[in-house]
Parts: sequence; structure tokens; C-alpha cells
Amino acid sequence: MFTKSGSGGRNDGTRNSSLAALLAFGMVLALAVIPTSLTASGSDETVSADDAKCLKCHSKQMKKSMDDGAKMSLHVTASDFADSVHSAIGCTSCHRDIADRKHPKEKITISDQRSYSVQMNQACGRCHEEKAKQYDGSIHARLVAEGSEAAPVCTNCHTAHAVKEMAVFESVTGEVCKTCHEPIFEAYAQSVHGEARASGNVIRDSHIQAPLCADCHRAHDVSAVSAEELVQSTCLSCHDDASQAHEQWLPNANHHLEVVACAACHTPMAERRIDLQLYDKLTKVPMGNEENHAPFQQRLDEVDKAGDGLDPVELWKLIRRTSQEGQATDVTLRGRMEVSTGADAHRIAAKGSAVRECDSCHEQGSAAFQKVTVSIARPDGRKQRFDADSDVLTSPVSLDSVGNFYAAGGTRIAVLDWLLILAILAGLAVPIGHITIGKILNRKK
Amino acid sequence: MHVNQATLAEEARVYLHPLPVRIWHWLNALGFVLLILTGVQIRYADLFSLMSFETAVKLHNWIGFVLIFNYFVWLGYYLMSDKVTNYHAVLDYKKFFRNYFDQAVYYSYGIFKGQKRPHNIQPHDKFNPMQKLTYQVIMMITVPIQILTGLMLWDVKRFTSWIEFAGGIRVVSTIHVLMFILFVFFIFLHAYMGMLGPKRSTHYKEMITGYEEDEGH
Repeated sequence: MFTKSGSGGRNDGTRNSSLAALLAFGMVLALAVIPTSLTASGSDETVSADDAKCLKCHSKQMKKSMDDGAKMSLHVTASDFADSVHSAIGCTSCHRDIADRKHPKEKITISDQRSYSVQMNQACGRCHEEKAKQYDGSIHARLVAEGSEAAPVCTNCHTAHAVKEMAVFESVTGEVCKTCHEPIFEAYAQSVHGEARASGNVIRDSHIQAPLCADCHRAHDVSAVSAEELVQSTCLSCHDDASQAHEQWLPNANHHLEVVACAACHTPMAERRIDLQLYDKLTKVPMGNEENHAPFQQRLDEVDKAGDGLDPVELWKLIRRTSQEGQATDVTLRGRMEVSTGADAHRIAAKGSAVRECDSCHEQGSAAFQKVTVSIARPDGRKQRFDADSDVLTSPVSLDSVGNFYAAGGTRIAVLDWLLILAILAGLAVPIGHITIGKILNRKK
Repeated sequence: MHVNQATLAEEARVYLHPLPVRIWHWLNALGFVLLILTGVQIRYADLFSLMSFETAVKLHNWIGFVLIFNYFVWLGYYLMSDKVTNYHAVLDYKKFFRNYFDQAVYYSYGIFKGQKRPHNIQPHDKFNPMQKLTYQVIMMITVPIQILTGLMLWDVKRFTSWIEFAGGIRVVSTIHVLMFILFVFFIFLHAYMGMLGPKRSTHYKEMITGYEEDEGH
């Protein structure tokens, strides 16, 4: 990164004691007559002569009219910029268009503030190539590309002119994320992670830091949280003994870790749901991309004409049709238990409070199986969910369509229960019938 | 056993059920009952509270492995013994089904009229046609299916490829439950038909001592 040492950068060696003494004597005179440097008020940092030229105007409360009729502030707080890591590279390193033009004589037109911020994102990538590449693959960048007004560009998190060094930025307690994701941040703050971070920043009496937002979601290549493999592997990257710990008591521990989201048990009060994601058995990837997303919606509308959620037969039809129309695919549904809301997913409780009672799921009528969605992966990795009836988990029709998801006891097929009753009745009827036949025959004798 | 002390009459009795077969049978009987009880607890946690779900699953798994071992005791014994003839298929189908029909008629009529059993019980041919077909299906089809599906459900990750081949975990579980329902029916029938000897207790005694009881004949 950029340093701000007195001898480096573009500070022209102004920070020596003699000049400081001179400045102390005649600050106003020095600034007015020899404007080679600008001392930011409240700071001992200075900016270069070129930047001082910019700040001469831009430290004032200037505003620019944009094409959309709104006004954009052109004000830069000199002290913020002087304190920022970017004071070392200067204004025109980012605002190259300004350097190339006869500014301010030549008018620059800006259509609106958002498009200007998005456009200026390119400037960051010129130096921060790797980070920009990571950002380009993120859910944030995709939302920006889709035209979202709210999705962040670099400056939304880092600010435009008061950019801090990494060490300072990392110590900030997720505040930048909170700006947009407040309910989730509040839930996190109440979680075992948030509380540990707040109370001394350590967990399990070790030097390990309790995670902040970016520790799980990554800072620049922020991913859709519903890309479940990512979240689970992220949990396991710290809790690397989770597999062994669960194996100590939980039958089929690793299968549970695969089909049950960590938060489903570790957020005990959360509402849970089952998501059945369309999955291609042949390519082993979740189904859905830009090309086949629209036809899927069309098929769904055809199948669920009433739009009241998929019933078992409608779900079966949907899977059959998707398999037939999507060539070279073998469509299946991959079931997974997760918490219903993003906020709940972050309210992870201490280990001792986690759900440990098997029958909270493995019992007919369990709350965990009352809410069911069918989902398809969106191009950005997030899931597009469609409602389904809860009996898609217990219907004999689902033997084919929901063949890959089953919780003993919890999602049992009711028809089999009747068959068992029939077997018991038949088992009793045979002896009773046989004994009766014997009695009748002997009576005749 | 104590052959030297046996009376002539006892020596004349037919030794139908060798010791390994009797051990296998009663261990199987106990195991089946326990598997049914724990299985019912696993499947119907909302209706029964004999034990916790966790305990039921652990017991079910352990008993399952004991019975898998027991199955191989049975298989090993019969493969290495000349008694394997008991399970040999009768290749003359016409004759087999004629005898099967005779046996069915006996059970539904002759038995009440004191008629002679149509099948002559011998150590190498102890099963009547109805028993033979039933035990062939149970020991060579349903029990192996139950063992395989049970293994897949015991460790889903280990047997992922088998489960996928079978059509998914719901399919595997449904097959396991269907076999369970069949076994429940079989146990009712088996326990009752065991009472259809000369006396109600005759076949039960035989299955304990190994010797054919001559009560009432």
C-alpha cells in the first residue's frame, strides 16, 4: 500500500522543523503568497502542491448540476483527504479526466451521481487490480451491473476521499456493511460471534478473532450467502473440528452437515425451512443460468396454473418437464434445511444452546418441515425461490421427484403407515381366521 | 449331546435343527423383535416414547450389525453343510406347486380333520413347500435387501453411490420400510404357524432341543 512517511510520497519535504516554525509565524502569508502546500486543519498531514490547487476550490461547498437535475457536491474535506492513504498519489491519479482537460474551463457533463460513482470504480481498479477483479466477481458488482441503485461500488464502503489503510479499515466493526445490511448486522451483534468480538475480540480463550462480516463473506468477492457450500465451508474453515465433534454423537454426522445448514441447529429459535434446489445430476451443479432461467419460470407457470404453490403432482411434472426440455440433463432436487431469514442465519448461539434433540426434526409434524421452497440458482449464485406445499415432503408421488431428501420419521410417507396397519391387521386376521375355520369344521363333525 | 446316555427311543428321534441353526434362529428372533421396536420408535417418535430417537437409532444400528453377522453365520453354516439341501429349489415346478397346493389344503382343512401331514419332515428336507418358498424368498431376497438398505441408511455418505444408484435416499428408506412391514406380517404368521404342530408347543420345543418331538404321533 501507500505510505505517508515524511520523506516519501509527494510531500516535498515540507515537514521539517524549520518550515514548521516558519509556518507558525506566518501561516496566512505563506499560504497566500507561496501556495506550494496546504496544511489540513486539525491534521499534521499535508497534500502536494498540485492537490492543494484542487483543494483550493474543492474544499469549498461547491455543487454541480447534473443531467438528471440533481446537484452533486464537489466538496472534499481537506483534512480527510490529507489523512487518507490516497493523499500520497494525489487527486489526478484517480481523476485523470480532469488532468487531461483544461479544467475547470472545459465543462464536464455528469448524467447522475450514481453513474459517476460506477464510472469512477474503474479508477480504483487501475492500481488495485486484484481487488477489482475480486469485486467484479462479487454479488455487489453483479447487482451494480443489473442496474441496482443500492449495491455498493468501491467508494460506498471505502469513501471517495477519506480512504484509510487496511489496518484501520479492518478494525472497523462491520459498520460499512451495516449501512445496507442493518437487520443482519444487529442479529450478528447478538450472536456468539458478535458478542465475542465486542468483549475482547477473542474466542475460546485463544488468540483467534471472532469473525466479522468479511471473514465469512469475504471483503471484495462477496458472495451470495445462499451459495450454501461456501457458507458451510466458511464455518468449517475455523471450526475445523466440527466434523469430528458431530461424529461423537450424531449418526450420519457428515450427511447432516451436508443437508442441514449450520445455522439451522445453531440458531435454536430460528424458523426453519426446507429448500429443494434443482440440481443436475450429470454435471453435478445447481441448475439455472441466464439462458434457461426464463423457460423455467414459464414451465413453472404452466404447471402451477393457480399460482398457489407447487403440490406434489405439480412438482413431479415440473421436474419431468425440466428433464425433458433441458437436453443432456438429469434433473433432481437437492434438499437442504436452512433458516428462513438472513437475519436468523447470523444469530448463531453459543454451542450449548444449539438444537440437539433429534426429534425436533425427526418427528412427524415437526415445524422444520412445514415451510418448503423449490429453488433455482440465479446467475449471481443467489437462489430464486418458489413456494411449495409441505406435503411434497410426505407424498408417495415425491418418491421420484424428492428422492434425494428424506428425514426418518419427519418426512415419512403416510401411505406406508396404512400399509403397516394393514400388515398388522392381516397378521392378526390369519390366526383368528384359521382358528375360526377349524372350529367351524369341527362343529360340523 | 449326551448321546451315550440316550435311550433307544431318543436315538430314534430325528435331529432336525442343528445347534448353529438354533442359535442363529433365536438370535434372529430376538434381533427382529428389537429391530422392529427400535424401528417403530425411529419412524413414529410422535406416537411412541419407549426411548429417545438418538438411543433408538444407536440400538437399531448395533442390533442391525449383530444380525448381519448372524446372517453370515446362517449362510456360512448352510454353505458348508450338507443341510443346504433344505434350501435347494425344486426344479420340477409342476410337482412343487402340486405339493404346495396339497400343503395349503392341509393347512386349511386336513389339519383340522387330523389328516397326515402331506410333507414328510427329514433333516435334509425339513421344510414343506410353503415353508421352502417363504424361507427362500426371505433369506435370499428380503433379508439381503434389508441388510443393504440398512447399511445405506446407517452411513449415507459412505454409500452415496449405492443410494444414487437406487434412486435416492427416500427410495432406499421406502424399500427398507416395505421390508419392515413384510417382516412384521411374517412374524405374526411365523409365530402362529409354529403352533400348528401336534401340540401348540411342539415346534417351539423342537426349535429349542433340535429334535423332532413325537407328541401325538
